Amino acid sequence: MFKRLFALALSLSLIAVSFCGCSTSLEQKYVAVITKSTTSEFWQAVSAGVNAASSEYNLKYTFQGPDNEEDYEAQNQMIEKAIADKANVIIFSAVDYNKSVEEIEKARDLGIYVVIIDSDINSNKVNIRISTDNYKAGQMAGNEALKIAGDKLNLGIVNFDVNSANGQQREQGFRDTVAEDSRVSVMGTVNVQSNVESSIAGTKNLIASHPEINVIATFNEWTTLGVGYAIQQLGLQDKISVIAFDNNIVSVGMLETGEIDALIVQNPFAIGYLGMESAYNLIIGKSHLQSNLYTDTTAITKANMYDESNQKILFPYD
Amino acid sequence: MEIKKKNPTKKPFSLSASLVVLVTSIVVFLMTVSVFVFATTLNSSLVDTATTNSAQSVEQAKGTLNLYASQIKQSVDLGVKKIATANSRNEVKEYIDTMAKTNGDIAAIMIYDLNGNLLEYGAGDVEIKQDLSNNLSFNKELFAASADYCITAPHIQNIFKNYYPWVVTVARNEWAGCYNTQVYIVMDMKFSSIASYIDNVGIGQHGYCFLMDTKGNIVYHPQQQLLYAGIKSENLDVLHSFINGVSIHQNTIYTVQDLDISTWKVVGVSFVDELVGATVRQVVKIISLISLCCVLIAVIMIMIFSKIVSSPIRSLVNAMHDFEKNAKDFQYKRIDGIGEINMLSQSFEHMVIRIQELMDKVKNEEITLRKTELKALQAQINPHFLYNTLDSIQWMCEQNKMQDAVQMVGALAQLFRISISKGKELITIEKEIHHAESYLLIQSFRYKNQFVYKFDVDPKILNYMCNKITLQPIIENAIYHGISAMVDEGEIIISAKSDGNDIVFEVKDNGVGMTEEQCKSILLKDLSDNSGIGIKNVNDRIKIYFGADYGISIHSVLDEGTTITIRFPKIEGGQI
Repeated sequence: MFKRLFALALSLSLIAVSFCGCSTSLEQKYVAVITKSTTSEFWQAVSAGVNAASSEYNLKYTFQGPDNEEDYEAQNQMIEKAIADKANVIIFSAVDYNKSVEEIEKARDLGIYVVIIDSDINSNKVNIRISTDNYKAGQMAGNEALKIAGDKLNLGIVNFDVNSANGQQREQGFRDTVAEDSRVSVMGTVNVQSNVESSIAGTKNLIASHPEINVIATFNEWTTLGVGYAIQQLGLQDKISVIAFDNNIVSVGMLETGEIDALIVQNPFAIGYLGMESAYNLIIGKSHLQSNLYTDTTAITKANMYDESNQKILFPYD
Repeated sequence: MEIKKKNPTKKPFSLSASLVVLVTSIVVFLMTVSVFVFATTLNSSLVDTATTNSAQSVEQAKGTLNLYASQIKQSVDLGVKKIATANSRNEVKEYIDTMAKTNGDIAAIMIYDLNGNLLEYGAGDVEIKQDLSNNLSFNKELFAASADYCITAPHIQNIFKNYYPWVVTVARNEWAGCYNTQVYIVMDMKFSSIASYIDNVGIGQHGYCFLMDTKGNIVYHPQQQLLYAGIKSENLDVLHSFINGVSIHQNTIYTVQDLDISTWKVVGVSFVDELVGATVRQVVKIISLISLCCVLIAVIMIMIFSKIVSSPIRSLVNAMHDFEKNAKDFQYKRIDGIGEINMLSQSFEHMVIRIQELMDKVKNEEITLRKTELKALQAQINPHFLYNTLDSIQWMCEQNKMQDAVQMVGALAQLFRISISKGKELITIEKEIHHAESYLLIQSFRYKNQFVYKFDVDPKILNYMCNKITLQPIIENAIYHGISAMVDEGEIIISAKSDGNDIVFEVKDNGVGMTEEQCKSILLKDLSDNSGIGIKNVNDRIKIYFGADYGISIHSVLDEGTTITIRFPKIEGGQI
């Protein structure tokens, strides 16, 4: 009898303890967002999405990125800082596919959740990945290129850092799509640094060495601007069609003035918002069915840029 | 003594177990009820609070937006007045330039003719595009349809190079003297200040505000990129049907308010479950914890209670069982416990002692009674035997058979001496044999030539003890019922032998014998016709003294004779 009572008491106290264990604290959780850049309009839109979700889910966050989009060392320092500050979640966009793996895995080993946005990292310990489906975005760019009329499409590609995963995936999607059309021949590829000056110089070199090029594809905001400026400076708006990425105000202007013919616009606000929402779900322990979330992209041309829905995609609210 | 008791087949619920179950169920029931009542009360009060919050926030937003709208109207009115009364186009140009530059909310001021040709504009330092074919800030149909002010939905202003602000266009048809025609005076008001204001309206933890027009289209939503990307959605059909005020739909609190300007509405969205659910869950958790603690405490208390009450009762019950089984040798040890248990235990102890006393008393009284009876019987002297013997002695004396008379008187004396034996029950076998010899001697004078007798006694057993007057009644029986009826001379053989731990006397005659009924009746009835002590009495005495295993057995065959055997244990003289 006493044994039974004792067992009952024991099991009850165990239940009580487990209840105590799972009672949640209402303390604000901290999310460290580490991006490739803070200055581009793309990342500012991401920041807006992060901000919207942070107030919705009552999360504290920091938003930081290196001054230079090639600076993985600065990113690694930011990861270390986030670990030291006891972040609950790190939302990370890798400058370099390989160089930050060690730091990110260290954070994971310490129980910090990691959400990768936009640009991937070479680790299978990441909790969730949220990005534009880069390969599909590349395919979309490829389809836009194929819409260009003409017997012969001599392609040039201006891409950014070879070590950045998303740029390579977009280029692959693009190449795979255009390769299906017999009109297309890829004349040359140039890899530049992810800034305007390097892109202008790279584009000019490419055109100089391959004067027959009549289509240029490029894959992020800075290289888009670089290509656009180069075309503008060379006065080749009518000769060379440009398929580019992201919705910088200047590149949108170039869409109207003809330097650029199509923009593949991502949904950075959604990326930021979903990143933060995933962080929240990880903190409260809500399980995810999928660890990869993809956001949509839209192809914008001069013809459809002022459609009511496209206005909302193309032009951010300041 | 042994009382047949029903075997305890199924163990009934013990006191402590039933108490645990009872207390636990009461606690759980009460806690469940209180949680339920509390949750319901809290829920409704929290919903009330949330509703009030939502209404207040939206009311505030409405006030701010109305104020903002009235300021816009003022600027437009002022502009319209200036332009309508301006004397020259230069004056107009100067005015609208200054206004666009100084008022941060104005993106541009434009003057169009009725066909949409731009007559003048002021927009600060931006450069106008060459091609104005797709001007989003001029909507001919909409402008023409409105009598007074016309306010468009937010859109991109796209007439300037690399400058694409979100604006709301406010237009008014007016006569302008210096243009000598009806013109549209159009102001593009920056939407960003409204947008950021809307963005920052928070209701509860996750609530927000957005703008909707009367047709149910979203004018501005803080998360419109998400809406467009299909990540989020608003239930616009339902929202459209809501009248102004607060409505609760699927755990979401919607507050709708019309704005003074245009045809817009402010919609506040907040969530019941997040406001209420979290708090209720927290409270439920706390209450469940408390109830668990209560159950735990109850269990501990019951364990203590059981220790104090239940287990003494159990041992009392066990003691009673033991007592029931063996009342004679039961020894009760008193149990210590709380008052009532103590009293119960004491009473039981008293009862046990009293019962055992009574049992002893009854037993002793019975034994005493029997002994007294026996002694009384033994004390009896069969008067017929005495008269007959005395007659025989008298006759012998008359016949001058002095020798025989002496022998007879000696035997009689011996007989009585041994019969009395100072009142002792047990005498030596030797004396018993003498007693039998004396008796036979006397009888052999009376029944002269009718029987002979013979003793066969093992001399080793002479010093063992036996009940007195055991052989005499049996010999008497043999003479009266066996030999006396015979025509021939009878024979009586008396033997006394040891048989293991027992001693066996045997009286054998060759008389007429007895039927089986007779044999039985001898042992059952006290035959008190002429004999002083019957065979039954002998048998009873042996059994009382030595137990049921000992006593008399009779073997008789009609016309052949009877053998009566007496069996009793060997007892040394000192053992008595």
